[in-house]
Amino acid sequence: MSPIRRIWNVLRRRRLDEELRQEVDTHLALIEEEERLNGLSVEQARRRALARFGSPMASRERSLEAIVATWLENLCKDFMFAARRLMRSPAFTVAAVLTLALAIGANAAIFAVVHRVILNPLPFADSARVISLEDGMPSRNVPFGFNSLTTQLYYAYLERAHSLESVALYRIEDRALTGQGDPERVQTARVTPSLASVLRVAPMIGRWFTEAEGVPGGPQVAVLSYGLWTRRYGADPNILGRTVALDGVSAAVVGIMPAWFTFPNVTVDAWTPLSLTRASAAENYSFTGVARLRQGATASGAGAELNRLHADLEREYPGNGYSQLVAAPATLIEATTGRVSGALWIVLASVGLVLLVACANVANLFLVRSEIRQREVMLRTALGADRSAIARYFLCESVLLSMTGGILGFGLAWGAIQLLVAFGPSNLPRLTEVRLDGVALLFTLGLVMLTAVAFGGLPLLRSTPIAAALRDGGRGGTPGSRHRIRQLLMGGQVALALVLLIASGLMLRSFQELRAVNPNFDASSALTFRIGLPAADYPDRGRIAAAHGAIIDELSRVPGATAVSAATCLPLVEGCNQGGALFVDGQAMQPGQQPPIVLRRAVAGGFFETMGMRMVRGRSITRGDVERNEPIAVITEGLARVTFAGIDPIGRRVRFGNRALPSGDAGWLTIAGVVADTPVLALGETRALPQLYMPIFAFRQVPLPPRTDAMTFVVKTAVPPAGVTAAARAAVARVDPKLALAQIRTLQELLDRSSSQMAFTMVLLAIAAVVALTLGLIGTYGVMSYIVSQRRAEIGVRLALGAAPGSVAGMIVRQGGRVALAGIAIGFIAAIAAGRLIESLLYGVSSRDPGVFGFTTLLLLAVAIIACWIPARRAARLSPLEALRTE
Amino acid sequence: MPKHTNDRLQGTLDLLILKILDRSGPLHGYGLAQRIHQATADSLRIEEGSLYPALQRMTHEKWLKGQWGTTDTGRKARFYTVTAAGRKQLEEEERRWVTLTDAVNRALRFA
Repeated sequence: MSPIRRIWNVLRRRRLDEELRQEVDTHLALIEEEERLNGLSVEQARRRALARFGSPMASRERSLEAIVATWLENLCKDFMFAARRLMRSPAFTVAAVLTLALAIGANAAIFAVVHRVILNPLPFADSARVISLEDGMPSRNVPFGFNSLTTQLYYAYLERAHSLESVALYRIEDRALTGQGDPERVQTARVTPSLASVLRVAPMIGRWFTEAEGVPGGPQVAVLSYGLWTRRYGADPNILGRTVALDGVSAAVVGIMPAWFTFPNVTVDAWTPLSLTRASAAENYSFTGVARLRQGATASGAGAELNRLHADLEREYPGNGYSQLVAAPATLIEATTGRVSGALWIVLASVGLVLLVACANVANLFLVRSEIRQREVMLRTALGADRSAIARYFLCESVLLSMTGGILGFGLAWGAIQLLVAFGPSNLPRLTEVRLDGVALLFTLGLVMLTAVAFGGLPLLRSTPIAAALRDGGRGGTPGSRHRIRQLLMGGQVALALVLLIASGLMLRSFQELRAVNPNFDASSALTFRIGLPAADYPDRGRIAAAHGAIIDELSRVPGATAVSAATCLPLVEGCNQGGALFVDGQAMQPGQQPPIVLRRAVAGGFFETMGMRMVRGRSITRGDVERNEPIAVITEGLARVTFAGIDPIGRRVRFGNRALPSGDAGWLTIAGVVADTPVLALGETRALPQLYMPIFAFRQVPLPPRTDAMTFVVKTAVPPAGVTAAARAAVARVDPKLALAQIRTLQELLDRSSSQMAFTMVLLAIAAVVALTLGLIGTYGVMSYIVSQRRAEIGVRLALGAAPGSVAGMIVRQGGRVALAGIAIGFIAAIAAGRLIESLLYGVSSRDPGVFGFTTLLLLAVAIIACWIPARRAARLSPLEALRTE
Repeated sequence: MPKHTNDRLQGTLDLLILKILDRSGPLHGYGLAQRIHQATADSLRIEEGSLYPALQRMTHEKWLKGQWGTTDTGRKARFYTVTAAGRKQLEEEERRWVTLTDAVNRALRFA
């Protein structure tokens, strides 16, 4: 209690002192009265009173000390003096605060990202043991993790893989959510009930699925996301037990997941159980999986085991390609943060270095100041200030500077994070959750403390040999070694700035290259959205085809629409791709040879024209083809190259199937045209994935036809595409008011999104590079200013002896330029080494791109010369008289 | 327990102030000094100014209460009284004093 009152009394000090004065005055007067009665004169009585009382001042002082927290007062006073001193040299203060703000801000921002995205990417318990089951068929062009599991694999993994503790399968589907409110398309995940035990999660309300709900014919249940629950149902706590209709099928809501649960991705709004039994295990590759490793097992060990299992499965289920299936499980953390994490660590390390440089810079500025004030410190020491008083003197300044820098830096970090989140790729886990939270604040505070001690302590070390300083008499006899340290500092930061500049330059070039990739479709002014037809209302292919036709007709009448079409899947969209083995009529399979896996897509008439996709040969799929259910196909150039090497594919017949069907006329598609390759998953794919387009059929025309109940519509417009959204929605409602539009976005947005990861890394590195460049500028300027100030006398002599100001300036610039050049040379070599580290992040540009290296080197050289030239010009303008007089 | 109880000199001054104020009722600083001189028959002359840090501290500890009033000659002065907490502290200090002096006396007698 009483210490707090003592601190409180600091504020009441004036009043307390006034009261004491009154009390003491009365006391003195009363003594005087008494002594006067004893017959003393006024003068004698006063002297007597003081003798009896002691010093009134000391009495008051000690009385206050007894009740006021004087340490706090002294601290405040120290800080006030420090603030006043700093205000007196604004150039120094601004430079130091700016330097620290930039460095601390960059560190706080990058740390916030790293903390959330890499250190803590998955909020699951023991998440290091959760692996993503990424299978692929490299020999058949099937990339890893591409809906690459079958239910047969699931049971094999579940029952036979000793390294896996539990396994879960899932498939993302968008389904129509109806009942209570507008119909809505929501992303849902069909998951095996085991998902909760693999991820070790539980709903925040209600329960997860039971095993009985994961078998065919089990009760229809659903678990909703926190987002859907709050958005659509107003966070109604009585939701449990109510039913929702997904694609027309009623399901009872049994649980609500917590807000942080965003598996498999942030867009999923509901989970329903995947109905599976051992007996119904099938061979379509249409699932993705996660598993929990047994204690002590590793992802690579599990991979080896799963690959052995694949060989067994080939014997049990021949012809489904299991022998070519390669398992490459990675921990879920790696799978989700993968490539970005490397870049983030590099960036964090470099901003850490930047902070170090910033400290060194400020310490240098501080040293310059402290040398100027050496005499002041000496005077204080001579007058009896002890070391702690001198330490306070410097530490108050450094604490003030770093606090101000920290506050400013925190603001900068906030801005930088807005930038990063805006540029962040959507698949980066928890990026939207990145914010300056308590942890980041603590981190920043720690940085502030560290920097304060780091550069505040330096002059203290320097100020120790007072006697030596006194002997020097403060003359400019600086030993060369200290110059050397400063030059090392300057060269070092030039080198660091160059490395970061080159790295961000390379990312920028990659980004440009990626954006320059021709996607082979025209992304300008086109709106896309997905519509799914609920199975309850559209039970067969005939009705589905008719509905799509009607929707296209209505959309064509929307004002501003110039062309409308639809496809089961658009380029650069994940989650809608369906693949299958393609057999060519008359092409005999060699023993052991496997047909290629081809993505199969159904399109409405005029799709290629609406998308602006280029026909290479033959004709496209027309509206008439769709209406007549013409069994034709358009294949991509990549497929033509792989399957019909050197032969004209037009007129050849192809057929999908899991294995060779008996030959005959049924189910063949005749190739009518070849279209240019479009990217499937990402821009700049190393290999074009083979694709085949066919018309939307109104009946089961071919084996394994693509599911057409959900299609993405493309509306080419003559007006800004976002403007027709409302009209498009109304047009769809005219066909069926229960239908909802999902994933509404322009083609341009699709294109932008595919380069977002590159943009993100680029912004990260650019932040680090800008900070490093600015600090390099300030640092070089600081070092050169110091050197000039130390050489004042010499420069004065030179000027007095008739040296031209230009030659003096040249001398200074040459001195700085030599150091900068050395730094650049080192940075150049370091950048070549660092380029290796970011090689995997680059696209279409070599990690030693001469353009980037040349440009950044020149830029840095120019900046360094400017930083040297300003102090040099000041030196040249020095009046010789003045320069000599200050000595 | 306040740490200054170990400090015998300060403790003694506290004891004196508490004892006198407890017996006499409200007193200002000058009056208190007079009483101390009388009570100790002028054998313990203290610098009167040194009363004030003690009075401030003891008020801060809530052993004393200070109230402004006027002296007989019409001057503004602060009059101090002992609080309940102060009376408890007085008992404590007295007991400590007796224990200490007993011990010292015994030591002097048998040394």
